Amino acid sequence: MGSQGGFGQSKEFLDLIKSIGESRSKAEEDRIVLREVETLKVRLNDPNTPKYKLKEYIIRLLYVEMLGHDASFGYIHAVKMTHDENLLLKRTGYLAVTLFLNEDHDLIILIVNTIQKDLKSDNFLVVCAALNAVCRLINEETIPAVLPQVVDLLGHQKEAVRKKAVMALHRFSQKAPGSVSHLVSNFRKKLCDNDPGVMGAALCPLFDLINADADKYKDLVVSFVNILKQVAERRLPKSYDYHQMPAPFIQIKLLKILSLLGTGDKKASEQMYTIVGDIMRKCDSTSNIGNAILYESICCVSSLHPNPKLLEAAADAIAKFLKSDSHNLKYLGIDALTRLIKINPEIAEQHQLAVIDCLEDPDDTLKRKTFDLLYKMTNSSNVEVIVDRMIEYMISINDSHYKTEIASRCVELAEQFAPNNQWFIQTMNKVFEHAADLVNAKVAHNLMKLIAEGFGEDDDTADSQLRSSAVESYLRIMGEPKLPSAFLQVICWVLGEYGIADGKYSASYIIGKLCDVAEAHPDDDTVKAYAVTGIMKIYSFEIASGKPVDLLPECQSLIEEMLASHSTDLQQRAYELQSIFTLDAQAAKKIMPMDSTCDDIEIDKNLSFLDVYVQQAIENGAQPYIPESERLGISSVSDFRSHDEHEPSTHALRFEAYELPKPSLPHNIPPVLASSTELVPVEPSYVIDILHPTSAPSASDAGSSELKLRLDGVQKKWGRPTYSSPAPSSSSTDLVKVQNETPRPDSTGSSKPKTRDTSYDSRKQQNEIPPEKQKLAASLFGGSSKSEGRHPPSQKNTKTQTHTSDKSRSSKASAPDTAVKPSQPPPDLLDLGEPSIASSVPSVDPFKQFEGLFDFTQETTPPASTGGVDGASKDSDFTSLFADMSLSAQSHIDPNPESNGLGGSKVEPSSPQLNKGPNLKEALEKDALVRQVGVTPSGQNPNLFKDLLG
Amino acid sequence: MIRGVIIINDQGKPRLIKFYEFQPPDKQQELVRSIYRVLCSRAENVSNFVKADSLFGPDVRLVYKTFATLYFVFIFDKSENELAMIDLMQVFVETLNKCFREVCELDIVFNFYKVHMILDEIILGGQVLETSSEEVANAVDAISRLEKNANSMIPSIPGWQR
Repeated sequence: MGSQGGFGQSKEFLDLIKSIGESRSKAEEDRIVLREVETLKVRLNDPNTPKYKLKEYIIRLLYVEMLGHDASFGYIHAVKMTHDENLLLKRTGYLAVTLFLNEDHDLIILIVNTIQKDLKSDNFLVVCAALNAVCRLINEETIPAVLPQVVDLLGHQKEAVRKKAVMALHRFSQKAPGSVSHLVSNFRKKLCDNDPGVMGAALCPLFDLINADADKYKDLVVSFVNILKQVAERRLPKSYDYHQMPAPFIQIKLLKILSLLGTGDKKASEQMYTIVGDIMRKCDSTSNIGNAILYESICCVSSLHPNPKLLEAAADAIAKFLKSDSHNLKYLGIDALTRLIKINPEIAEQHQLAVIDCLEDPDDTLKRKTFDLLYKMTNSSNVEVIVDRMIEYMISINDSHYKTEIASRCVELAEQFAPNNQWFIQTMNKVFEHAADLVNAKVAHNLMKLIAEGFGEDDDTADSQLRSSAVESYLRIMGEPKLPSAFLQVICWVLGEYGIADGKYSASYIIGKLCDVAEAHPDDDTVKAYAVTGIMKIYSFEIASGKPVDLLPECQSLIEEMLASHSTDLQQRAYELQSIFTLDAQAAKKIMPMDSTCDDIEIDKNLSFLDVYVQQAIENGAQPYIPESERLGISSVSDFRSHDEHEPSTHALRFEAYELPKPSLPHNIPPVLASSTELVPVEPSYVIDILHPTSAPSASDAGSSELKLRLDGVQKKWGRPTYSSPAPSSSSTDLVKVQNETPRPDSTGSSKPKTRDTSYDSRKQQNEIPPEKQKLAASLFGGSSKSEGRHPPSQKNTKTQTHTSDKSRSSKASAPDTAVKPSQPPPDLLDLGEPSIASSVPSVDPFKQFEGLFDFTQETTPPASTGGVDGASKDSDFTSLFADMSLSAQSHIDPNPESNGLGGSKVEPSSPQLNKGPNLKEALEKDALVRQVGVTPSGQNPNLFKDLLG
Repeated sequence: MIRGVIIINDQGKPRLIKFYEFQPPDKQQELVRSIYRVLCSRAENVSNFVKADSLFGPDVRLVYKTFATLYFVFIFDKSENELAMIDLMQVFVETLNKCFREVCELDIVFNFYKVHMILDEIILGGQVLETSSEEVANAVDAISRLEKNANSMIPSIPGWQR
């Protein structure tokens, strides 16, 4: 395989790699690559460049792009290469275009024709290359161009081609589900392809289809169970074994499919129990792949209708995972546990110590997985510990994505399970202090709403306690530097609303604090706006209660500063604040009622309060208002004019692209005003007019404007689009924001146990000492059995169900064959190698039997490749394909597969002892070359994947 | 499905980038850099999995393994099994080893074309196609032989084979 001496590439390429390897800085590397780009540009564009050189240039181009440089100038050459007759060049071309181009690239159109031709080629390697390209380059528009050929290839004689054709169809169904929906039966048919590899390939599209809609495929449950059974019983040729496990990837796919089909379906689940149980028993838990299957089985069990026996087996397997030293297995154990506690919340208790170990593990992935688990098992008895842990972790990490996620989870859990107000406020403060700008703005509004509404119970004292504790804690915190903006907004709002509500703090104290906030954040307009509105509220409360108010000097200067602000919003607020002082108590009470955030504001959309005014105006001789729709529809003349108005522009040059048709744009300009010489942006009605110049113009127009009018009728009442806000004085926006959130009944339903069994603080100290782990465990898991929160105790009476499976199975009308199947060993597709069985049941065609399972296909013809051939010849055909299989099939129970030459070489493909002897010299040479080339300046021996197979 | 396969060396230089859903070149570079950063921060003897939802969207994970100076990285979503991906990676590396005899970083750099060929036989369109390194090596051999034959019409030049 010829990497002797050099690496089979030209000296130029070698030099390029070498110089890049030796470059000391990114700038130097960039210079080298740019020089290379220039060289390639010249060479590729030179018509005299010999073809055989082209391949290398394209490869070098790929290399350049991989290093992050623009190689788009060469794309066209790659496309040209796909047209070449020479296989090597063609394949290189295909490789390059699949890496260079995306499916919507303009050049694709130049390739489609070649792909079409190559799909029909006699050379299956050409076909394979084309199928590779199809998977990557064909988009929704071009699918029809290649679809017929790809479907034809499903019957190709080479199984490699059939396999790839199935994959290509799968890709189509991913990209444009509609395009191949009529071909779904092909996937079902391919399940009984006589090559297990093709069958395995068909599982991929079926998995996706079942994921989208499981109900359509319930009839396949029996078939999948049967296939899985045959695979697990080692009926497949030995060559499908991997590390002594029979076709593990197929097993995993099948288990995934079964878990989709069995979710929430008791009848289907019952058909699967036996085989899933068998697989769990048979799994070799010493090999990686064995554990992969075991893990997949647990996932399957957790989504099937619960079965106590399987759940027990799954719990045992999880225990094994968690006890393992391998972090990978621990990770899977935690993941599996997360799935299983949905069914059985108690199961976590047995593993509490292991879980806590994982929580303290240095491995971040494992830690996060464990937090996922904790999040799922939180209830009101362990919420304090869990949220505390989460916050601690949140503070320690920098990854803003995960910080956001975990902060939102903390908020969610705190809202749902908070044991008391004080804890809740404290927790929220901590979250906001560290991550307020990361969490969704909605969270801040939720917090304000929660403080305003209380916990949804009619307990006013508790609500006001909540508010006072919030105010108190905010007054304490707000002096700290670098608080996130969102947190300051919450603080300002709460202080404004409730700062003086309980009479503990004087108005001037709160106002002083709010002025400080505004002063300390001169660049943050939002915070300043919140602060000023807070001040305004406090003043108006004071005025309303009849107390004498005097403007604090710092407040005065704040107002003055804001009156000169660039932000019109701040200006407006400052003016409003100023005018508050001129009001009497009655008016102040009216515009800023105390504690009114939860009151609904009724909006009179008809503006009926203006009726009197309008009436007066009309009496005084004003023109009555005519709605726009009437103005347009009243006479066809006006319509005609609006129709006309666009006409000239069709003849003029148009500089704008056609817009996508939009549903009814409101015409803001009265049609008469529009000058006909102007360039008008193309509007949908215009397009319609052009297309149907003779059709009655009024119908669509009037209809759309009618709809338009209804939408924004409030603003159009006076025919002026600029008229914006109906309210005479705009109340503070934050107030409106909170109020606008439709008040919904608080669904959190949190209970508020006033007593806590363990003290929060003492627990925190205890975390350091090892016996403490036990306590942590107790606080985490102790309460889970009496959990009341999110895990309602799942009542399942599974025991009664296990024995009804036979009945349900026979009642399944769609698969009559299978009811008989269990009584005798099923002669099946994959077991043809065993001549003794074949002779003992001569009348049975194994293929026919297998196809019987799939009565939906309705045709008894076998897959098209051998179409029409009778069973006997197929038999021989198949045995010749897998000639070695008879050998292996007989010895498949043989515990020592090494005796079988095939199996032995398969499992350990290149044991170092065998290969290293003769290759040592070569390896050393390579090593020397590597050093010389300087790809790895670190100087350690870069080659020899010694750790790989040992 | 498998979203992508990446090989980077221990200094963050990409050696193979293959995404099964198109990513523009700039994005590719950025992803490689972020992945490299994450991998560097991982301690030894920890799990081979990393959550990659901040880079690729919800439920996307990556599994990585170091072989000598190279990081092999597979990126995939929840329709694949993590442990099985490790084994798939093993198949890939075993096949490389077979095709190059004691594969090293330079083999991969220079035989870029062949590495892609091998990968294409294992994964197609983001789905696992073949998991027997024997089969893959045979297929790759067959292709190489045919290509060579097709090539024999072209005058062979010293220093440029295959």
